[in-house]
Amino acid sequence: MSALTAWLKQPQRSVPVLVLAAFALYPVIRPYDGYPHGVLGLGFLLGVQAVSWNIISGYAGYVSLGHVTFLGLGSYTAALLGARTGLNPLIFAPAAGVVAVLVAVLIGAVVLRTRGYAFTIITIALLFGAQIVALNWKGLTGGGDGVTLDIPPWSRDIQNLPFYYMFFALLLLTLAFSAWIRRTKFGAGLLAIREDEGKAGVIGVHTTRYKILAFGASAFFIGMGGAVYAYYITFLNPTGAFALLGAVTIVLSALLGGRGTLWGPALGALIVTVAGELATVYGGGANSRVLVFGAALLLVVMFLPQGLLPTVEAWLRRRRGGTVGYTDQAGALVARAIVLDRPRPPAAPDAPPLLEVRGAGKRFGGLVAVDGAALTVAEGSVTGLIGPNGSGKTTLFNLITGTLRADAGEVHYAGRRIDRLPPWTRGHLGLGRTFQMTRLFRGMTVLENLVAPLPDGGWRAMAADAVRGHEADRAKELLGYVGLAALADVPAGSLSYGQQKLVEIVQVLMTEPRLVLLDEPTGGINPALAERVVETIRDLNRQGVTFLVVEHNIPMILGLCDRVTVFAQGRRIAEGAPEEIRTDPVVLDAYLGDTPPEPAPAEGGAR
Amino acid sequence: MQFLQAVIIGLLIGGVYALMASGLTLIFGVLRVINIAHGALLVLAATMTWLLWRETGVDPILAAVATTPVMLGLGWLIHRGVITRLPQGSPAMTVLATFGLALIIEGVLNVTVGNIFRSATPDYFAQSFRVGGLALPKPHVYGFAAAVVVLGGLYLVLTRTWTGRAIRATAQNPAGAALVGVSGAGTAALAFAIGTATTGVGGSVLSVLYPFYPASHYDWIARLLGIIVLGGLGSLPGALVGAVVLGLAETLTATYGSLQWSTLVFYIVIMVVLLVRPQGLFGTRLREDALA
Repeated sequence: MSALTAWLKQPQRSVPVLVLAAFALYPVIRPYDGYPHGVLGLGFLLGVQAVSWNIISGYAGYVSLGHVTFLGLGSYTAALLGARTGLNPLIFAPAAGVVAVLVAVLIGAVVLRTRGYAFTIITIALLFGAQIVALNWKGLTGGGDGVTLDIPPWSRDIQNLPFYYMFFALLLLTLAFSAWIRRTKFGAGLLAIREDEGKAGVIGVHTTRYKILAFGASAFFIGMGGAVYAYYITFLNPTGAFALLGAVTIVLSALLGGRGTLWGPALGALIVTVAGELATVYGGGANSRVLVFGAALLLVVMFLPQGLLPTVEAWLRRRRGGTVGYTDQAGALVARAIVLDRPRPPAAPDAPPLLEVRGAGKRFGGLVAVDGAALTVAEGSVTGLIGPNGSGKTTLFNLITGTLRADAGEVHYAGRRIDRLPPWTRGHLGLGRTFQMTRLFRGMTVLENLVAPLPDGGWRAMAADAVRGHEADRAKELLGYVGLAALADVPAGSLSYGQQKLVEIVQVLMTEPRLVLLDEPTGGINPALAERVVETIRDLNRQGVTFLVVEHNIPMILGLCDRVTVFAQGRRIAEGAPEEIRTDPVVLDAYLGDTPPEPAPAEGGAR
Repeated sequence: MQFLQAVIIGLLIGGVYALMASGLTLIFGVLRVINIAHGALLVLAATMTWLLWRETGVDPILAAVATTPVMLGLGWLIHRGVITRLPQGSPAMTVLATFGLALIIEGVLNVTVGNIFRSATPDYFAQSFRVGGLALPKPHVYGFAAAVVVLGGLYLVLTRTWTGRAIRATAQNPAGAALVGVSGAGTAALAFAIGTATTGVGGSVLSVLYPFYPASHYDWIARLLGIIVLGGLGSLPGALVGAVVLGLAETLTATYGSLQWSTLVFYIVIMVVLLVRPQGLFGTRLREDALA
């Protein structure tokens, strides 16, 4: 009994379950409410669409404005297969889902390789393209005359009841699917893409594959729903099956309920369906419907951008008050050394360099940022990279990790050439980095930040549980080492800058890196914490992790590193042990003198 | 001859498409806003043109002189009342908000002037210029001429005036432009207003060349967005090239295949181009490591 009361006190779990149970029981109590059954059934169908839409557009942040296309595709698939075979169209529902997924994956494979708006735009084109095909491929679809399906065999009295349960079951499946995705590494990666796609790639998230998969996943249950829907309305035509207003209601539902949440889109779908029905019955006809939906969409975007659920949650949290977490400063400073799961074996003394950059070049328009740069990092070393501002250090980092592609030169890492590989593959090879200005996923919790990285490119890793189980335990353990265990469930964006720096280092460790590139790891944090960062680097280095560190804190670099490389004007001007660098006149000149150590490059040089 | 005829018509239509897409790409370039309502604004302008033409008998294309200032003002209002009030830093939200606006415009047209097909038919509606063996439909020629005037004017404003330079500077780097004394908000409002004003002329040409009804805006925005994706988002030359490609794809498909498939052919062209160049023909890949 006390377990039940405890459960009831967790409204985020108990309320949805109770509501769903009520929906499941309602027709049992009132089996002949044909009209409400019909309306609610369509509400569940809209819920299926909005919850599915949320996978690509809520989790991954890529807004689709043509998602109703998959409903139409599913409807046509089931209707046409049913007509050709003489079988009940419902048995083709899985096939309808598969067709929807195939189309989504094909389109996604073309447009999801870039970031940004092209996807949204192409989804509109997709809806129109589907309409054109359905209208003009008369041999297949019957063109504008449409397709008529057989009437269901069951009694007219309970006409809508079977559909009510079919749509309801589909909604439950879709919700379970969405919840499962959200729990996996795949789901964490999708959120990472929404927050900062470039960063996601660097921590091993194969962004293109993730996005295409998410788009495909967002189509399946809509396709199945389309099959049931076709049987429900028994008539299909191109403008009805691929109706833009349908696309609008999907977007409006998800947005109203709460984009990116699990239950929000389903809640929004029920509200939109019931409100839409009331508006049609008591308000004007189809003409004013467009106006009402348009106004509702605009108002929600402007005044309720988070959606209902997150807004209510935030309000409840404010009423209850919360506790503020601080860095366990003492803990962070005296914490035990980080212990890696798998320490790396020490390198053989005559091993080839772990990282070797030869002749790398990168220009931005007329500005030459990196100009024939060379760099070697020995396995097991802590190598420093220093140089005046604008000498190309960060750009070189970007070339090594794949954030930018070099115009010239080669990057070799662990015996293979990597300068043409995408960032995530480099990440899977054990190459990790932090950023000068931290780039955590600000809207995600600290824990989610730590479980998003993908250490290898395998499918199994993507499907692995992220927010609990081994990964989460490991993340919490690492957080404990840096004294931030109390902040695991806080949004990363609310951490202080120094805390973010620590979390970013831990985030890199989650990828089990072999070489870590640190871009000003102690910039902007207090000296005690900076000392702790240095200690952490030493600890990890003792366990076999190789480091390449960019810093302006010269004493720190000279104290920490085995080898130091000095950059000026996009190229290496000196390389050696710290004590050699300390007294090298070329280096002193580059930092303090006003004459360049070498003549500026002739063509297109610094302007 | 048939081929030449199709190509010339394709180029004329391409010019008109370029006119319609120029405002959309200008707005995107400066504000990073995909204005889904652009198609609805075109249809709104076309409807106003049609009413003016029917009531006063004025030439529909010349009626743009009256509708353009109205659209300019409307653009300024939309920017002021909606765009600036959206949550910052969420491109998805601006897309959805302008989508909502498009529906509102469609709904208002439905309720006020009614959901029927319209088309402005001045005397020259069905006439053609004869050049050699070619027939150049007068509406297309006049529409093309209007497009050249507007695009030429836009080019001169952007390259020769301080305002134009301010707009281009803001498009490239808003923070930098603000530092040298260009008001970001003011420039953005101006760019949005000018971009919207182009729908005045665009709509008047539309009203003569194509039958339209309130929901036509879906069709138009899908095509125009296709053009700017093909050309590379935010690029004016890209929009020109994309528009001409669409014009040619449509007329050639209509001549040698059938009219119904022409838009689909264009979508296929877009997909093929995106396969080879994901950023579009004239799009650039920007430095992505530092967040703006």
